[in-house]
Amino acid sequence: MTPKPAPQGQEPLYETIARVLRHNIVSGRLPEGLVLVEGPIAKLMQTSRAPVQASLRMLNAEGLIHRFRGRGYLVGRASRGPAPIRRPLDDFDFDIPAASQSALAVRGTWLRVYDRVEAEIAACQIFGEFRVIETELANHLGVSRTVARDVLSRLNERGLIRKGAASNWLAGPLTARTLQEKFELRSIMEPAALRLAADFIDYGQIARVLAQINTGQTKDAAELEDALMRFCLGRAPNAALIEVITNNRLLLSAMDKALSDLGLPVDTVALDQYGALFQLIGARQINAATAFLQEHLRILSYKSLARLKIVALIPESESLPKYLSKV
Amino acid sequence: MSGISASPRPALRLAGQKLAAPAQARRRVLHVRGTDVTLLEEVRKLAEADLGIDIVYETLDFLTCQYRAAMDPLAYDIYEQCFHNLDIVWYWGALQPIDTARIRQWENIGDLSKAGGISKYTWQGHGDAPVRKLYVQPDGTLGQQPMPMISMLPTAHNVDSFGYDRRLFGDEGPEGASWAWLLDRRARGRIALVDEPAIGIFDAALAAEANGDLTFQDIGNMTVDEIDSLMALLETLRQQGFFVGSWLTPAQAETMIRNDRVSVQSMWSPSYSNLGAMQGVFCESVPREGYRAWHGGASLARHLDGAKLDMAYDYLNWWLAGPAGAIMARQGHYMTNAEGVREYLSPEEWGYWYEGDIALCDLKGPDGRIVVRAGQRRPGGAYRERVGRIALWNTVMDEYNYAARAWTRFIAALGTRPS
Repeated sequence: MTPKPAPQGQEPLYETIARVLRHNIVSGRLPEGLVLVEGPIAKLMQTSRAPVQASLRMLNAEGLIHRFRGRGYLVGRASRGPAPIRRPLDDFDFDIPAASQSALAVRGTWLRVYDRVEAEIAACQIFGEFRVIETELANHLGVSRTVARDVLSRLNERGLIRKGAASNWLAGPLTARTLQEKFELRSIMEPAALRLAADFIDYGQIARVLAQINTGQTKDAAELEDALMRFCLGRAPNAALIEVITNNRLLLSAMDKALSDLGLPVDTVALDQYGALFQLIGARQINAATAFLQEHLRILSYKSLARLKIVALIPESESLPKYLSKV
Repeated sequence: MSGISASPRPALRLAGQKLAAPAQARRRVLHVRGTDVTLLEEVRKLAEADLGIDIVYETLDFLTCQYRAAMDPLAYDIYEQCFHNLDIVWYWGALQPIDTARIRQWENIGDLSKAGGISKYTWQGHGDAPVRKLYVQPDGTLGQQPMPMISMLPTAHNVDSFGYDRRLFGDEGPEGASWAWLLDRRARGRIALVDEPAIGIFDAALAAEANGDLTFQDIGNMTVDEIDSLMALLETLRQQGFFVGSWLTPAQAETMIRNDRVSVQSMWSPSYSNLGAMQGVFCESVPREGYRAWHGGASLARHLDGAKLDMAYDYLNWWLAGPAGAIMARQGHYMTNAEGVREYLSPEEWGYWYEGDIALCDLKGPDGRIVVRAGQRRPGGAYRERVGRIALWNTVMDEYNYAARAWTRFIAALGTRPS
């Protein structure tokens, strides 16, 4: 995939990271055969692992790095068959260009606040429609209006807010129609991602998830939904698809969290269904697993719709942040 | 009506924990949470006598009842409300399935509840027909494919319409009525709606569709756009002074009639027999578009097991034994095993309430007051005629969260109007 021609401050984080890695590989700072795994890179760039994963997949597609029998990637083309070199990145003259550094730093400031705002804005939508007030948001976060605006445009990209007729930012309401649409999207995209990911899943990891389920260590369905995303769907070699899936899940996860905060008991049926799903994936029965995932999502959609109805009886939380105002 | 908690609560119970054996001297206690539709003092006393246990009723309004049944399931053993409340209570994991093999009268329960209509040719009605929420499917959801386990034991039910003043709408008889009257210009300033969103919104929607203002693709499951249109219409009418207000309890509805402040409003049995001098002036309609129906039942709390669960099954079975159904009949409600009820009613009572016959003598209500005068005939006729004309069931529709919030804003705006 080709990076969009966007100013560095607003390009997706994984593109900034890919740019830095590309610079270090092309300039010869990182030798052929060096093993790249996401953890140390994320630490060096002070980001989370997900964008590093995405950037490594990009470089792999570009042919600058390649997969090998071990974990992670090797620098260079597979055809040359270099021997793996396992050494920390600090051993090399790893360089982060100034422009990228400031992009990463800006990320740092607003990444810190972003997650909180995202959670708050996603959670409020079950209570109806809200206006998001930019100046109040900046005050609330103690940041400049520029940063507040960055946060808002990111929320807009991820589909959590939209521009109203008067050019103001609006969030919600999460209606049954929105919910059904999101589940419909899930049942189109997630089985497709699972199919694409089949060859890239770490089956040892799946065995560990299954062991945790069987020994009763997994306590709620959200944990397994997360594991499905990280260890299965997220392995699909299509960063764009994974991004759409992730964004599509945002509101649904926020709703689940809000309902569980209200005291929704553990859904043991859903737990069992995830157990069965991981069994199928673990056995590499990918066709059966995708069919099962689709059916599981259908039932989940139905149950979520019913559970959302209780929210009608609950007054809007008094703890809603000040930058949200009821429409 | 019935009082709240008369005897001391048992020691604190925890989910999944076995109950301690009851103290030797004390009778066993069954806690029932529900609404005043089925939680009648007469029913409670009779059940206590027949079952040899203490029964504690907790009577709540409709909204509070479904909310607390879902959120606070350890505080009751039996939950009595309606099938349309199950989307909220069942999927919140508060209840456990009922094994129909343990329900002695299961075979005698009528097809309205078990199959969806009194015959296979009857239209089920829009919305939450009880059969659509009755059977527990293997995946834990509720559906209409028959299964051995059910979510709620079907008990009392009825078909509702609205009440109207025949001095305004004429004397052509209740059968000439239309839901359109509920938003009729002739009654401007003297219209009231029930506060409860799962009911009031449908009264208004039936009226708006009957008078041609709006059409709904599926009135039992409105879209966001349809809800917006309905609420906009109601707001316009409110600003034009159509509504005198809303009511929360049947007693409030009856007071408005006795004070001659309404000409047409949401209303149901047994209010028609509590109107004093207005009885005979304010009538129960038989709308040509059909009825808005509801179906009650009783469910088991999830935490029940062992002896407590057995006691709860005894209570469920008692509901279908007949005496409870007779009390329900005297306030105008039907029971699912009608034949079992028949032997506990006088022939005159059976004839009036179930057969649609002219009352051959005065008939008493559950509390002993006369509620039907000799010579009256039940509007709409016999059971089969009335339940054969269901347009819609009380429903907690998909967009309930959206609709209920819009409805609540409308009701609040009604309240601010000086009356």
